Amino acid sequence: MANSEKASLFDKGKELFTELKDHWSTPAEGKYVPYKEYKDVIIGVGANYAGSKTLEYIGFWSSCFLIMHHYKLPYLTFSVIGLLNMPLGYISALIWWYVCDNLGFLPKKTERKVYLTYGLMMAFGISTLMFDFSTLFNQSGSFITVLNSFEGMNATACFKTFGTHFLYTGWVGARNIFWRKKLIPKYGRYKYSLYCDVIPKCVMVILIGWLPVYNIPDVATRVWVANLLFATYNVFGFGNVLEECSKRISPNLQERILVRSYPVKLSHIFNSILAIILPAVVGMLRHEWADINFYRWVIPVTFCISAAFTMYLSGRIKERIPQPPLEKKVQIKFWDGMLGVLKNKYLRIKTIVDLIDALGNGMLPFATILYFYTFRLSGLPYSLIVALISFAGTPPDLLSPYFLKRFSYKQIMIFYQLTRAIGNVIIAVAMWTCGDNLALCGTICIAVLFFMEMTKTVPTTAGHDMGVRINDYQMYLSGERLESFTGIFGWFTGPITSFIGLIIPIFLLKYGFNSNWEILFYDGSRRNIIIIPIIVDAIGFFLMTIPYLFWDYDNKKQNMVMEVLKRRAEVTEKKAEEEGVSVSGGYKG
Amino acid sequence: MSKKEKKPLDWQTDVQLDIPEDEIWTYQVPGLAAPHINKPYKYYNFKKAIFVIVIIVAVSLSIYFSVMALQNDTFQYTATENGLEFSKFSNTGYITELEIDYATNIEYIPGNNDPATNFKIVKDETKPITSVRQFTLNCDDKITTITIGENVKFVDPKAFYSCWALQNIEVDENNPNYCDIDGVLYNKDKTEILCYPCDHDEYLRKKFGYEKELYMNEVTPEYERDIQTYVVPSTVIKLGEMCFNYANLRKIYLPEGLKRIETLAVFKLHERIDQWSTNPSLSNVYTYTADNIEGPHFTSDEALGDVYISLPEGLEYIGSDAFSYNQNLTYVYIPETVTYIGHHAFWDTCYKEDGEIKGVSVINLAVSEEEFERIVVAGDHWKPQYDYLLFKKYIDVKFDAERE
Repeated sequence: MANSEKASLFDKGKELFTELKDHWSTPAEGKYVPYKEYKDVIIGVGANYAGSKTLEYIGFWSSCFLIMHHYKLPYLTFSVIGLLNMPLGYISALIWWYVCDNLGFLPKKTERKVYLTYGLMMAFGISTLMFDFSTLFNQSGSFITVLNSFEGMNATACFKTFGTHFLYTGWVGARNIFWRKKLIPKYGRYKYSLYCDVIPKCVMVILIGWLPVYNIPDVATRVWVANLLFATYNVFGFGNVLEECSKRISPNLQERILVRSYPVKLSHIFNSILAIILPAVVGMLRHEWADINFYRWVIPVTFCISAAFTMYLSGRIKERIPQPPLEKKVQIKFWDGMLGVLKNKYLRIKTIVDLIDALGNGMLPFATILYFYTFRLSGLPYSLIVALISFAGTPPDLLSPYFLKRFSYKQIMIFYQLTRAIGNVIIAVAMWTCGDNLALCGTICIAVLFFMEMTKTVPTTAGHDMGVRINDYQMYLSGERLESFTGIFGWFTGPITSFIGLIIPIFLLKYGFNSNWEILFYDGSRRNIIIIPIIVDAIGFFLMTIPYLFWDYDNKKQNMVMEVLKRRAEVTEKKAEEEGVSVSGGYKG
Repeated sequence: MSKKEKKPLDWQTDVQLDIPEDEIWTYQVPGLAAPHINKPYKYYNFKKAIFVIVIIVAVSLSIYFSVMALQNDTFQYTATENGLEFSKFSNTGYITELEIDYATNIEYIPGNNDPATNFKIVKDETKPITSVRQFTLNCDDKITTITIGENVKFVDPKAFYSCWALQNIEVDENNPNYCDIDGVLYNKDKTEILCYPCDHDEYLRKKFGYEKELYMNEVTPEYERDIQTYVVPSTVIKLGEMCFNYANLRKIYLPEGLKRIETLAVFKLHERIDQWSTNPSLSNVYTYTADNIEGPHFTSDEALGDVYISLPEGLEYIGSDAFSYNQNLTYVYIPETVTYIGHHAFWDTCYKEDGEIKGVSVINLAVSEEEFERIVVAGDHWKPQYDYLLFKKYIDVKFDAERE
């Protein structure tokens, strides 16, 4: 290396150091985030992300190891529960959106009515758990016989499951208003939930492992009691909210992407380390993933440590959305919210994409089958291969700012869908033609998974960024972000996707799949269970390229939208000050 | 323009908008829709009505179709070229005995509110069942007895998969294709064992007068002999796919004439440690030489002629996962007649505890290494592995071994 180059590198290093030192506590001109906050993002988001990923080991779905090895609930039962919860889900969503998009600040009279509704729901829910309402009906009538015919359920279990959803909805809804009003002014709209949920969540994580609900011998009783337990567990959240907050860390587009690409990406390293350690620990247990000690000790300890770090740092990460103070914010009426989101062209396009994506709903996680049932991996080898594949996405992600500058969102997303489609087709062909040769077929599949992971992270970053931009655009359109009211699109797609989502599970049953995953050791079943859903999914990915052809939201438009939002915040705050109103929660940018 | 003077991307475009204070809620960005804040909508009521109607129709249709998809007829049949095929059974939760002879339906008894007794099973004797499809019963936990009628010509080996409460399969003696020996399903000439019911031990306990199930550490020699030992008849040349899976057996006696052990044939045999947990049960397989053994009940080694440990001389085929997850198995000897060993044939039959390898710690092969390479087609990972540091290691294979 020439001396001049060495000097240049040294100068650059020195420059970087000076930049960090000068702007450690105060951001540079035109920027909003001091470097100290970058450090907090790395550790805080890292802990929050690792904690939320740890919770993915616990879930009320068939691919959860706890359900698979201990609860042994029939596969279709989850679809039945979804169906029972669907009608109430629609009704409760209305109130939920209205409350959330007004940030919990409702007119007094409305607030009382909403509390009363939630209270009645809880009372009904508790009464269904205490009494068996199915006995009120004719036991030989068609209603009860239909309920009895659902897999893994009977009429009693159906009523109790239905009631559990009432209890859950009422409880979550009432907490939602109470805590939003109390905490949003202080902590902002994204991370407030951590402060009210973290302690009960830790308790529930411990209880899930220790309560022996899975030992209930009758399957229908086990279903409704497990549903109640997991519903209670789900009342308290521990989502990756600090990362959500960091996506809104600056009104400056470039700074947002910078934070998303470097500190946030670096923060994920904590989870990558855990993803290696946890399976290695599991490999040391006598019954590996089937060992209940995993849920009694490993998960609770990991989660509680992550939660503690998250709480320690959450206060230091700030959201900076240009918005009027809460006292002067636009009050969203219910129908204005509904019609407001329907006006957003980009949400409509994304809805069509989601609808097509539903073609793959209900398929089993291919990678899990490959690792556990084809390769029989466990312990450290499993950790390493999973880490290797997840690492494939890291180098391209570090280059996300470059890709996002050079290519439009439309180009990136079309590329993404095509790579998924091609990857799935290659896997299906490999399984079909050389499925018996575990080494060859497995190597092809791993290579394809590696390639798919590599081509996934940049589109994912672009997708997250575009999600925030669409919210900014919505705020420009309607005066609020209406993030919850966007759920209305789910109302249109939900009925279709829930029906489409039944096709694959019903098909899987024909090849012997059920709560007993061990049929996947049988080559003939495993091949069919994997290949056909993968082909259906590939078709979906090809089709998903079409809606993106109509995407035209670019950086210039986004910059102009941000200017409008900043101007609104500036003018409203000025007016509020002139009127002598005390203000909170606003941000001018 | 030189290479260095690149055109600025729209990303870097510095946008300056001059928005008057009274237009902050109405200012329209070029190329985007105009904001609509605190303003009435055109055709407001009409839009609301359309919206509500669309949603109600969509949700109603979805619920209807989903219920239709999820609601299972208790008995489902498919007409095939060879007659009526029994294709799916979905238990109402109260059916414990199942007869597979004629097309059957459920009729409910009006006025009876006890779900356990308010139905009767009605048969249509003009529609005989001729075959039973794979996975017709899948993870059923109520059926205890299945009876196969005289017209059934084909039963898929996987037809009664994971029926946890199944104690007995009985076959009509006039059936020309199948028979049962004390509740275990065989083909008619008894050359193939097809299904040893998962909960057959419960039937045996009743038969031999045991009042309750004995857990692992309580098992007496008599209990092990009566309940947990099975003698495969001497006519059998094939253990069918999944035939013994999940059975509660400690010992299996195989006839010397056995040729094939199919895929998952002896998969994950287990017994209870306590009320809630189970442990691998199969401790060993033995081979006997007597050629007139019909009954499955073990009486003594002498009655079986010469008895030796592990797989029979003359065995040719060991299917994939044939003995997987039997960690209590201690000795495996593969005779020289074996020409095929499926992948993962002995998977997870060993484990490490206190630094010691337990279960199958070594595989004994009758042939030399060269002969094995030349004659035997062996699938991937056919040998068991144990934890070695943080990885896995294959156990040793002893070539040219002599049977214990």
